[in-house]
Amino acid sequence: MASFDKKPTFAGLKLRLMNSWMFVAFFIGFFLFWEYSVLWFDIPLYILTPPSLIIENGAADLPRLLDYTLVTGTEVIIGYVLAVVLALPLGLAIAFSTILKRTIYPFIVCIEMVPKIAFAPLFISWLGFGLLPKVIIVFLVCFFPIVLNAILAFNSLSEELTLFSRSTGAGIWRTFFKVRLPAALPQCFVGFKYAAINATVGAAIAEFIGSDEGLGFYIQIVTGNMRPDLAFAGIFFLTLLGLCLFGLVTLAERLLIPWHISVRRN
Amino acid sequence: MSNQIKFSGVKKVFGRGPDAVHAFGPVDMVVEDGEFVSLLGPSGCGKSTLMLMTAGLLDVTEGTVQIGDRTVNGPQTDIGIMFQDNTLVPWRTVRGNIELQLEMRGISVASKRAEIDAILASVHLEDFADRHPYELSGGMQQRAAFCQAMIHAPNTMLLDEPLGKLDAMTRERIRSDLQSLWMEQRPTVLFVTHSIEEAIQLSSKVAVITPRPGRIERVIDIDLPYPRDYEVKRSPEFSAYVHETQEIFRGYGVI
Ligand SMILES: Nc1ncnc2c1ncn2[C@@H]1O[C@H](COP(=O)(O)OP(=O)(O)OP(=O)(O)O)[C@@H](O)[C@H]1O
Ligand SMILES: [Mg+2]
Repeated sequence: MASFDKKPTFAGLKLRLMNSWMFVAFFIGFFLFWEYSVLWFDIPLYILTPPSLIIENGAADLPRLLDYTLVTGTEVIIGYVLAVVLALPLGLAIAFSTILKRTIYPFIVCIEMVPKIAFAPLFISWLGFGLLPKVIIVFLVCFFPIVLNAILAFNSLSEELTLFSRSTGAGIWRTFFKVRLPAALPQCFVGFKYAAINATVGAAIAEFIGSDEGLGFYIQIVTGNMRPDLAFAGIFFLTLLGLCLFGLVTLAERLLIPWHISVRRN
Repeated sequence: MSNQIKFSGVKKVFGRGPDAVHAFGPVDMVVEDGEFVSLLGPSGCGKSTLMLMTAGLLDVTEGTVQIGDRTVNGPQTDIGIMFQDNTLVPWRTVRGNIELQLEMRGISVASKRAEIDAILASVHLEDFADRHPYELSGGMQQRAAFCQAMIHAPNTMLLDEPLGKLDAMTRERIRSDLQSLWMEQRPTVLFVTHSIEEAIQLSSKVAVITPRPGRIERVIDIDLPYPRDYEVKRSPEFSAYVHETQEIFRGYGVI
């Protein structure tokens, strides 16, 4: 595995900084512009607050924000893990079963057309304000990209590798673990990553619709109270949550498929 | 046990009805045990198709293929096959890819360490054993694929353009290595190539195949002494064989 490790060298770091200084400058410029345009254009604070005030007031409300991050984080993690654990085997089963491909697969494709988030009010009316309806919504928005990508992944083994596997006389299990599974992982990760991006969106919207805790709830309440500064602080933590999940999935990808071109390019 | 390969009326048609493609045959040919037979023909004439049918990886539409006294009607696991597109997997190193062939067959890798090193050395890849395929050039990948295809020491080898991506110099060297290997171990070899010289240099027989649908126009016995080195290639007999083969293709308007 040694050849995959990119040792962080000083020269490499310098090169990175040189390449990214324009981005950093733009980023800083953007926030400076935001900060001062609120003053210059005399925008009322209940419409938009400068970043400095968001940080200040957000910090003051940190305990509540952290509590709610934990709540939303729990919904996201449970829903996501559940989606992976159920969608991957189902995708696998559909990929290898003609019967399932003719029955469940078209059904899944149909449901995929429905915006899952539209079910949120129903689930909340059925199941109340608690954790469960949110987990279900997160699960639903994550489940479909994972199943569909898994089916694609397990169905697209190259012709040569199929022939090679058959020529060795290996049984289905050996072929699966030594060839099919590793070959399918990159496409599976496309689904995992897409689902990771969707997960926090699902949780936030489910919380908008009906809840008494969580970041989505927080954002909605403080917006109603004319506190855009706190809304931005909530959005910040929601973004952080999404980034953490995405980062974990990317880390898993690096560990599991370090050989894949999408990993090597970074 | 005999490794003779016998084709009787072998024909392949892909698809059905008006869209059917008559790819190959019907063809009759016998490749004797220990012979080196080249399939020489233009692109699309059905050489790979014949290889796959021989390996039992593609059904024949008509006729039969026999290896030894068995009729081929499913994957043949005691032969070695090198596919036209390489079958190296990107998640394993060169050594790991060679081991994959053994693992898939349930052969203990530990017992074959020495053989793996030897076959890697024979294609001059010993320094790249722990590299991944993407770190290798096209020609190096092809040599690695050769090792992968042959590590289980089969007595029958099907090689589909194994030297196709090599540069002229390396190609020359690997050709002579292949020839030494064949002279030492005397496997039955079916060898696909586009190169007239290569076919004549290596083979005991050259099967000249017509454009699609491929048929065997002539089987030329190459009666030249082994090893066939530069001297042999410059001999008038060699040129005569080249000329004879070229005439056939000229007749078909291929060259
Ligand atoms: N799976 C397939 N379905 C339909 N037609 C096919 C298929 N495989 C091959 N053919 C057709 O059969 C013919 C022979 O193909 P084949 O790959 O055997 O040629 P070849 O002699 O190996 O050519 P090359 O030297 O370019 O590799 C071609 O005309 C091709 O279009
Ligand atoms: Mg071919």
